[in-house]
Amino acid sequence: MSEKVTRRGFLKAAVLAPLLPAFLDACRRADDRRVVNFFNWSNYIGKDTLPDFTKRDGIEVRYDLFADEDEMFAKLRAGAKGYDLVVIGDYLIPRFRALNLSDPIPTGALKNINNLSARFRRPEYDPEEGSVPYMWGTTGIAYNKKKLKKPPTSWWDLWDEKYKDRVSMLDNVRDCIGVALLMLKLPATTRDPEHFRKVRELLVKQKPLVKQYSSSSYLNSLVSGEIDLAMTWSGYLFQTARENPDLDYVIPKEGTHLWVDSLTMLRGSRHRADTLRLIDYLLEPEVAAANANSVRYASPNEKALKFVDPVLLKDPRVYPTGAMMKNLRLNAVLDPEQSELWNQTWADVKVA
Amino acid sequence: MSSLNRALSWLLGGRKPLASHLLLAPATLWLIFLLVIPAGGLIILSFAKNGPYGAIVWEFSLQNYARAFDHKYLPVLFRTLAFAAATTLTCLVAGYPLAYFLTFRAGRWRNALLVGLMVPFWSSCLVAYYSWMIVLGKEGLLNSALIRFGFLSEPIGFLYTPFAILLGLVYFYLPFTVLPLYASLEKVPRSVIEAAYDLGADRWTAFFRVTLPLSLPGVVAGCVLTFIPCLGDFLTVEILGGPRYYLLGNLISNQFMMAQDWPFGSALTTLLLIGLVGGLWLYQAWEKA
Repeated sequence: MSEKVTRRGFLKAAVLAPLLPAFLDACRRADDRRVVNFFNWSNYIGKDTLPDFTKRDGIEVRYDLFADEDEMFAKLRAGAKGYDLVVIGDYLIPRFRALNLSDPIPTGALKNINNLSARFRRPEYDPEEGSVPYMWGTTGIAYNKKKLKKPPTSWWDLWDEKYKDRVSMLDNVRDCIGVALLMLKLPATTRDPEHFRKVRELLVKQKPLVKQYSSSSYLNSLVSGEIDLAMTWSGYLFQTARENPDLDYVIPKEGTHLWVDSLTMLRGSRHRADTLRLIDYLLEPEVAAANANSVRYASPNEKALKFVDPVLLKDPRVYPTGAMMKNLRLNAVLDPEQSELWNQTWADVKVA
Repeated sequence: MSSLNRALSWLLGGRKPLASHLLLAPATLWLIFLLVIPAGGLIILSFAKNGPYGAIVWEFSLQNYARAFDHKYLPVLFRTLAFAAATTLTCLVAGYPLAYFLTFRAGRWRNALLVGLMVPFWSSCLVAYYSWMIVLGKEGLLNSALIRFGFLSEPIGFLYTPFAILLGLVYFYLPFTVLPLYASLEKVPRSVIEAAYDLGADRWTAFFRVTLPLSLPGVVAGCVLTFIPCLGDFLTVEILGGPRYYLLGNLISNQFMMAQDWPFGSALTTLLLIGLVGGLWLYQAWEKA
């Protein structure tokens, strides 16, 4: 080694090293490459969807994943910069707007916006249509056919003593409080403290039976036999069931929530034009259909349905039939006060 | 060890005042930017209010502290203290013989074993905990081994139990106990132990009357270093623990994540911080006495 590290050299490097991020940042600012920074749930896009877009339109997509909606929200709220596009649940849309995290998408400028089914246009949670529905699905019960003598039919089965330590619940305010209100036949938009006391009681009563509250690892637990029943999101289970035919999904007879995940543009996006092109691309019928076939959630894209795998399209667990649809409700839109009541109740359940 | 010393003295430049100030600067800046400023921010935030949809309202209030003293959080506090105490005790019981062996018996293997002790720290504890899930699961290594050798006929659910939590905590915090123990055992003069033998003490007497008392500072330091971070741990329960073993760390992390109530989370953190600093202060006062 001819180059010896001198103390002076080392100190110089030590002084210069902190400047490196500033330098890199300057490079980034100068970067006018065509790129979209897309933040999405894990397992929530077809394998070829984004590569095909890059091949065709020459726009690179930097794809980043989250496995937990709360974590994503906390990250963006804390000021994570650089994302252009994110997929968020319906209930988060007013919240993103209120906290100035998102910019409304000029949906009028999208060529393919009219491919969406009318029932997903201008929904209650987004009357101005500043977001674009991506997928929709239901929250129901996943179970292992081999381990249960009788398939579950009701949400109350998750409260059945005989399944003690074999149950997993989504670690999520919307799903748990929403379902508890549904089970108690209470209005979703209630702000009566007495109602929330009942909800809390119901969920606390179930706690001794619950093996885990989880929104990401519960299907591993179901596959490995750690649990036999789980509150789940529909498509997530169907993805896992591809390789594990023993798993099945049921929409409980009390009904459930139908939720919509939407593409949302983040405030401060530096790639607006290209982000819009990506959204328009995702709305193309063939693209939307291939995407939905892969992630196994339902597509809100009317024009895409004729390209959707007929097996999925005819499966009432994925696309509920008209009669079942009556039992499905869109997530209620909550004002800040109701939202706080939901959060508090859930926090109390976790502490109890 | 000697090469490390050489590297350090090279860095310190033979104790030139200016150079050492310069060299202290990164550590000082590090502490200021990564500890003092964020902790100060948390303390300020703890006096703010939680607004609509979790927006932060900058109005002075003590309501977060008032809420923190609700009796519903008492079981969480006690559970956390119990887990931290159990972890510390287990680490001590398992770690003392280990440190003893490293000091007196390991011979030329000592450095290799010390490195081995640190190896788990080279990977994220997230990865380590997921590996433990594979070991502890119903179809995991432990169950298959126990069934294979006829100790069990049905798999046991080890995961999501207090046992799994304790195992995870001990696994992660053991080096925090062992290293101070090792450092203080190392300092016990061999001549004093030999003197005990010369004066007729047998092995056990020499250990209990000489070695153990002389290593007590290490025991206390090891316990403090294990107990305190345990109090704030949330990842272990998140991954290995079930819903009924909710700890202080989980309560705090949930305020930031799920409940979106950052001011309340900050108040809880501040209280934990006060408890820890108070505890450390007591420990130092005891050490001086």
